[in-house]
Formats: sequence, C-alpha cells, structure tokens
Amino acid sequence: MIKNYFKIAFRNIWRHRLFSFLNILGLTVGMTACFLIFTYVSFESSYDNFHSKSDRIYRVVADIKTPTEVVHNSGPSWAFVPHVTEFPEIETAVRVMGDLMLFTKDNLKFNESEVLWADADFFNTFDFPLVKGDSKTALSEPLSIVLSETLAKKYFADEDPMGKTITLFENPQQQPATVTGIMKDFPNNSHIKGSAVVSMTTITKKFNAGLDDQWGNYSPFAYVLLKPGVDAAAFEKKLPGFLEKWDGTHMKQIQMFPTLFLEPLKDVYLRSPRDGYGSVKGNINNIYIFSIIGLFIILIASINFVNLTTARSTERAKEVGIRKVIGANKVQLKFQFIGESILICTIAFLLTIVLIAILTPSFNQLAGKVIGTGVFNNFHYIIYLLGVALGIGLLAGMYPAFVLSSFKPVTVLKGRFATGSSGNLLRKGLVVCQFAISTALVIGTIIVYTQMSYMRNQELGFKKDQVLVLDTNGDSGAKALKQAISGLANVNEVSLSGSVPGAGYPNAYSEIENAKGEFQIANLDLYLVDFDYIPLYKMKIVAGRAFSRDFMADTTQAMVLNEAAVKMFGFTSPEQAIGKKFKQWKYEGKIVGVVKDFHFRSLQESIKPLSMRVDEGNMDYLSISLNTSNLQSTMAAIEKTYQNTFPNRPNSYYFLDEFFNQQYQTEEKFGKLFLIFSLLAIFISCLGLLGLASYSTMQRTKEIGIRKVLGASVPNLLNLLSLDFLKLVFISFFVAVPLAAYFMHKWLNDYAYKIKMSWWIFALAMLIALLVAFLTISLQALRAATSNPVKSLRTE
Amino acid sequence: MLLQLKGIFKWVNSGGRRVFLLKDVDLDVEEGEFISIMGPSGSGKSTLLNVIGMLDDFDEGSYNFLGEPVHQLKEKQKANLYKEYIGFVFQAYHLIDGLTVYENIETPLLYKNIKSSERQALVADILDRFNIVGKKDLFPSQLSGGQQQLVGIARALITKPKLILADEPTGNLNSKQGEDIMELFRELNKEGVTIIQVTHSEKNTEYGSRIINLLDGGINKSV
Repeated sequence: MIKNYFKIAFRNIWRHRLFSFLNILGLTVGMTACFLIFTYVSFESSYDNFHSKSDRIYRVVADIKTPTEVVHNSGPSWAFVPHVTEFPEIETAVRVMGDLMLFTKDNLKFNESEVLWADADFFNTFDFPLVKGDSKTALSEPLSIVLSETLAKKYFADEDPMGKTITLFENPQQQPATVTGIMKDFPNNSHIKGSAVVSMTTITKKFNAGLDDQWGNYSPFAYVLLKPGVDAAAFEKKLPGFLEKWDGTHMKQIQMFPTLFLEPLKDVYLRSPRDGYGSVKGNINNIYIFSIIGLFIILIASINFVNLTTARSTERAKEVGIRKVIGANKVQLKFQFIGESILICTIAFLLTIVLIAILTPSFNQLAGKVIGTGVFNNFHYIIYLLGVALGIGLLAGMYPAFVLSSFKPVTVLKGRFATGSSGNLLRKGLVVCQFAISTALVIGTIIVYTQMSYMRNQELGFKKDQVLVLDTNGDSGAKALKQAISGLANVNEVSLSGSVPGAGYPNAYSEIENAKGEFQIANLDLYLVDFDYIPLYKMKIVAGRAFSRDFMADTTQAMVLNEAAVKMFGFTSPEQAIGKKFKQWKYEGKIVGVVKDFHFRSLQESIKPLSMRVDEGNMDYLSISLNTSNLQSTMAAIEKTYQNTFPNRPNSYYFLDEFFNQQYQTEEKFGKLFLIFSLLAIFISCLGLLGLASYSTMQRTKEIGIRKVLGASVPNLLNLLSLDFLKLVFISFFVAVPLAAYFMHKWLNDYAYKIKMSWWIFALAMLIALLVAFLTISLQALRAATSNPVKSLRTE
Repeated sequence: MLLQLKGIFKWVNSGGRRVFLLKDVDLDVEEGEFISIMGPSGSGKSTLLNVIGMLDDFDEGSYNFLGEPVHQLKEKQKANLYKEYIGFVFQAYHLIDGLTVYENIETPLLYKNIKSSERQALVADILDRFNIVGKKDLFPSQLSGGQQQLVGIARALITKPKLILADEPTGNLNSKQGEDIMELFRELNKEGVTIIQVTHSEKNTEYGSRIINLLDGGINKSV
C-alpha cells in the first residue's frame, strides 16, 4: 500500500511538472532562506555561551553622573578590579582592554588590531584554553604575551615561540615581550576578540604605575566571576557603599558620581546598550526583525504550498470520486494526499541542503563573519529543518486532504462540483497575506536604503572628500612626516590631530565658565588638533575665530567649542561664549571661537558637546587634503614618504569619506540582508501567484473561448484575468502599510538624524508589488487570451 | 430478493419550486436478473442508478439491500455495503489516468487490504479472462474506448460483486465494441452476477431480462 502511494505520488509530481516545480522551488527557497536566518539568529544568540562559568561572569559597567549628563560607560574605573577582590563573593576579577599595536619580530612587522591587555586571572575566568603555557601564571609578569595559534604561526612559523620575544610598540615605549603561552584562537562567537593577550601588569606596574588606585580614570572593561551561589543582584547593592568607602571624597570633589551595574556575560553582546570592543556589537532588534522575516518567508512558502495544492484539488476531484466508488475510504485518501505533500517537502528538504551547502560561503561573506562552516557541522540544525519540512508537508497536506476526501463521488463524477467558495476565500485570504508581508518587506527595504543614502549624503559640516588620513599611531616621527608630506606635489593642506571624524576621541573632565558666570563641570568630548585642522576640514566658525599661530597663547590657552557645547553651558548665542574661561586637565585659558556643529560621529547619534584644543605634540592622525589630479603618483609619493619616516611601520591610510562611512557597515549589512530576504519573499509569493493564475486561467479556458468568439480582444481578456488578482494585491497594500510603518518607525527611532516616512515610499512599494504581480499573471493570461478558441470549445 | 425500493422520492428545490427527480419509484430486483433502465434524457435513469448504488441519497421511501435497510444506514455503513457488493461501470470509463491498466484493476483490492500475492493472482486471472494481459502496463490514454471499458468492467468485477451497475456502458463506443461489451455482460449474468444497466439503445435491452421505463422520475407502466 505504502509503495503504491509512493508510486502514485511520484507519477503525480511528474505529470504535473509545473505545479510540482513551483511547489518545490518555493519551498526550497523558503526553507533555505529560513534556515540561513535561523543559523544567523542562533549564532548571534550564542555569543559567550561557550564559557563554562558564563552564568557566573558579569561585566561591570558604570553610569557616571556628571553635573550635565549621565555617561553610560562600558567599564568601571581602573581601581575597581584591584579593590573589588576584598569581597568574599568574588572568585576572580579581571580588567580587559582592547588595543591596536605594532608588533615586530626580526623583519616581520604588522599592526595588530586585536591585542588585549588583561589581568592575570583572564584565563582562569574565561574558557580560552591554552595549548602551551600555564593559564595561572601566563599573564602575571609585566611584558608577558600569550599569542593565538594563528599569530604564533605568523611570527614564528614552525619555531616554538615559548620564551622567545616579540617587540611591542606602545607609545612612547618600545618593549620586548616574552611569549608565555599559546592559546587556541578565540571562537567566532566571543564578544571579546583577541589574537594576543598582553599582561595588564605591563601597564599598571611598568608604563603607568599608580593606575591601580585611580578611581576617576575610566578605560578598561572589567569582568567579575562570582562564587557559585552568589546572588548578583544582592552583590550589586553592595557596590555603592564600596565606591563611597574608597572614593567618596574624590567623587564629590570632581562632581562625577558613578553607579556600577553587573551585566550578565551572555547579555553583553546582544542586549547591552553599551559599546563593546570596536564594532563587536550585536543588536537584539535586528535579531527580532530577522526572526520575524524568517517566519514570514516560511509562512509565505507554506501558503504557496497550500494554495497550489488546494487549487489543484478540483482537478483531482474526479480521481477522488473514482477511488471512492471503487472502495477507498476517507482515511486511505487522506493518507495518500498527505503522503504526496510530505514527499514534495522531502524533495524540497534535500534540495535545501544542497542549496545551503552552496550558499553558506556567500552568506558568511554577507554577514561579515563565519557563521556556518558546513551543512553537517551543526547536524541537529538539519534535524530541525527536516522536522520543519515534514511539519509543513503535514500541515499543508492536511487541508487539501480533508477537502478532497470529503467530496461526494456522485457529484464529482457528474463533472460538476461546487468550486467551494470557502476554499476560494481561503486562497484569496492567503494571497492577501502573502502580498501584505512582501509589500511590507519592500517598504522596509526602501526605508532602510533611503535612510542609508540619507546618512551618506547628509551635509556633515566638514570636508570629507579628497581627504586622506594616515595613521601615525602617535609615533615620534609624526611631525617630521607632516613636514615632509606638506612639501609634496598635489598636497594642499596637512594637519595632525588626535581624532578625525568617525574615529575615537577622548573625553575630558572640564570646567567652563557658563552663562551665569559659574564654573560648570562637564565631561566634554575633546578633539586635540593643530592650527591647520579647522581650515583643512573647512569647518565653519560661527563666532570668534579659529586657532591661529598669530596668537602665542593659542598653543595652550585657547579652546574652541561647538554649538552644542555653547547650548549646554546656557549661552543663548555663540558670541556670548567668546572670552569665557575654561579649565581642562592641566590647562586653563579662554574660549576663542565657536565652530558650527559637525557630525563627528555617525548620524545615528546626535551631535554632542565638543571642545577643541591645540596640541602640537605627536598625534595619531595625519589628515591630508589632496588635489585628485594625478592621484596615483601622489599616493605613491605619500607612501614613500611614510616609509622613509617610519621604516618599521606598515602603511596604513584611508580616505576619510570611506572611513566615516564604515560606521554604517552594520546598517549596510542589515540593508543588504533585508533587501535579499524581501526579494526572496516577493519571488516566492510570485511563484504562488503564477501557480494560482495558471490554475484559474485553466479553469476559465472555456469562458475565455466563449468570450473570444463573442469578440473580446486580447487586452479585454488580460484585464479580465488579472483584475481579480490585482485586486488582492491592492488590498494587501492596506495591510502592509500599518505593519511596515509600525516596525520601521521603531527602527528609525535608533537614529538621531532620520528620514521622514513620506508617502512616496509607500506608493513606490505598492507600484512594485502591483507591477511584479501583473507581470506574473499576464504571463499566464496572455497565453490563454491568445490561444485559439476552437481548441478550448471543442472539448465539450 | 437482492434489493427492494419502495416509494422512493427525490427532489431538489429550484426557484422556490420542488422539482422531482424521482417520483414514487417501486422496484424489486431478484438475484440473477439483468435489468435495463430506459427513458428519455432527464427522466431520472442515472439518478435511480446512483440511488441503487448508494452514491446518492433520496428524500423519501425505503430501500432494502440484502435485508439491510439502506435508508437507515449511516454514510460509512452504506459505503461499506456498496464496496462489498456493488461494482460500477461508467459511460466515460472513469479510469485513473495516472495508473496503468494493471494498477487500475488492482486499486480496489488495495483498498480492501488484500495481500500482495493474492492481489497478483486475482488481477492476473481477470487480465487473462478479458484477454488484456498484453495491455497491462499501458496507461488508459493508450487504449481504445472499448479496451478502456473492458478495463473498467474488469476493475468493477475484481472484488467479486453481486451487483453491477452500468451507466450507459456502451454510450461512448462504436457498435462493434458495444456488442462485445454487451456479450460480456450477458456472460457475467449467466454466471450469476446481477446487472442493472442504463441505456438508450433498444438493441442493448435485448440482452436483458427486464426493462424499466422511466418518465419524469416515475416508472412508466404503460410501456
């Protein structure tokens, strides 16, 4: 019996190749998309799960209240970790800090971007296993370094690196570090990224002794491992008292009051609103959005399946009638139909696996990280997928099975049976549902892309084109480099600075004389620049003047604020701020100018108050304004100059506009994924529509024949055949709009500078949906409308 | 007595009026009879046949089949009854397009959960008897009308029914093919199978033992 079912099922699939093809293709594409999304989502949610003690590890973060604002910092002060161990609840506590550093060994030199500084207990807290070396002592001594296997290979090839040295350039020092361990490369799903770990004691004991007691200095991240059974919330409540005890008087003096919180390790990557290391930051909203899209896609694919199968059921009604007359009972028929749909799903499942295997590398590239390595590496995922496939087969087969098996044989065999209006209504409803989802995704895509292009093309308030930036990493030769490069042909202006737009910057404890004449304390973002900076970037001075070599005092006693800062200190016009006093770090002086607000961070954030001061020391960035004629030779000259000045540093430069736009990488990836998945959704919906359209034209062949004989033209018929479906697409638009508007409104809320959701976005989406649907349908309709009516009428 | 219809009425409501498809039909059928139902188009021949075959319901009257009161049975019980005792032959053959001759004949046995070896023997017997062994792997579309009807009859007979209901079995066939089919019916009847056929052809009625004339849903006793 089973064998018979299979035989019949296979023959049916073959006999109705178009339907089977549409069904299988839709399902395969849907399941593949859904599977990839699922792997992505589950990868994103798997961050830091691999640490065996992950449920006892917490990241310590601080909200620092200053008189003007609350700063959400990702770590406590330097002194926290050395002192917190006084609590019996603490098993270990470690500070970790990411850094970019130049490594040299013999004639190998590389800028390593994933260097970590970490306290001695680092390897005892986290599960980053050592291949060589002792995890307890590897990071105890200053100038100890643990290399990842990859890095060990890079610098030492086949040598045993243990006990050998590698030279670190950490400005201003240049120090040999001893390799005390080799660790396995960190897993991809670790929010802590590191290819080398250098002992924190190198900083705290050697470079900058005394950091261990600095309570007002924030920089490293800190993690605590609580002893088993310790209640984190209760422990968190003890921290204010702890801070008060150690730092109470100092806090009041500098007017900065931190509150410490414990963030569960598993939440750091995905759920914490605070920064991580560099760009290693997930976004729980994106995860939700993608999960929903994944569900939608699989829903659309299943709807296709149900629609195509039920639509075809009328065609199979005769067969059902015969089978019933010759002795089939309902159960047997249900088995047959469910079996057929499961078979189709199984075929789709097998194809899906093949497709996933093919697509995984491109998907990794798209996501920007290695999410999947092979189809079968996560075997249980495949089992889930099979479950989903069979589930769809069962559910989608169930409806047609019930409908078909309940046909009364006598009506069916007479050749007329009620084309159940209920089935029709269901199909129509499902089509509306499909197109509502697709249209909503199209709206979403348009909004994401419009927002991205808005951010890229927005006037930023500074010159970003034709500006080349060189990393000097604060090398002592930076000023000489500036001198040398300014003499090159096609170089217009050159400036050394501590920050460029889009890069990091310090913030400084500052006291500024405000509108009321009092010194107001603030934690101000700080750009250290030279005299050429403001002119090079064509920043606009709205009051006072830019820094100038004509004023001797400008080197230490002048400050320029931006408009946001002026507002924060209560001035009603920029002019009022001119001449007011400031104290910042060890410097004092007067405000000499106000610069028009410019976007020094991405447009996701609003422009914060900023202070600028002159520092003529060796700074990290050299900005070069270029004349782009002859760009190649200019670049070559710059590279050569760089090499001459820094013989042991690899070249590192970029154009500012690209660099600034890198901040939108996540958005770009998000946008791309969004685009791909909405295209898929539309594609699958259209497959379904194609099937339904071909079915309905088939059903109306006779009607079309009669109408043609009566004189209907081809456009008349096209109209007749497509209008029904286009109506559905039109209706779906009104379901899609509120859905998309709601979610995209939420999404846009993350951006300080955002587009308006104007009507054209929605109109465009509707137009696209209608057009795509119309093309799909007319493919079928045209064939029917142009066929010879004699053929269709002769059958009677 | 194989079956007995008493006072059977069947109607549909059309435009607020009751239209009778069957009107007070009484019919007794003994085992071994060969009955022909005749009448003009729309006189209710097929409806009567479907009622007898339990494929269609009726609105009034009583129907006993082998002593079972059909009018009191549930859908499922009726289905079991006709599956057991009745074979159907159609004007349009109604073979399953996707199945071969062999499979078409075999299908009723599958539904009766008969074992594979036994099925093979039964199907082989009947193929042999109908002289269509050579055609067993062909699909219906590859056969002539007469051959298709032969397969249809073979399929109806495979479960050894007591009664064969044939709705214009020769309606789509040419005269030679029609004669062959009628000959076959006559043979089957001799072997004891009761046959009720609906037909338009006077000639076909000659094979039968009794003729029922229908007019406007009722039995026309004047003929």
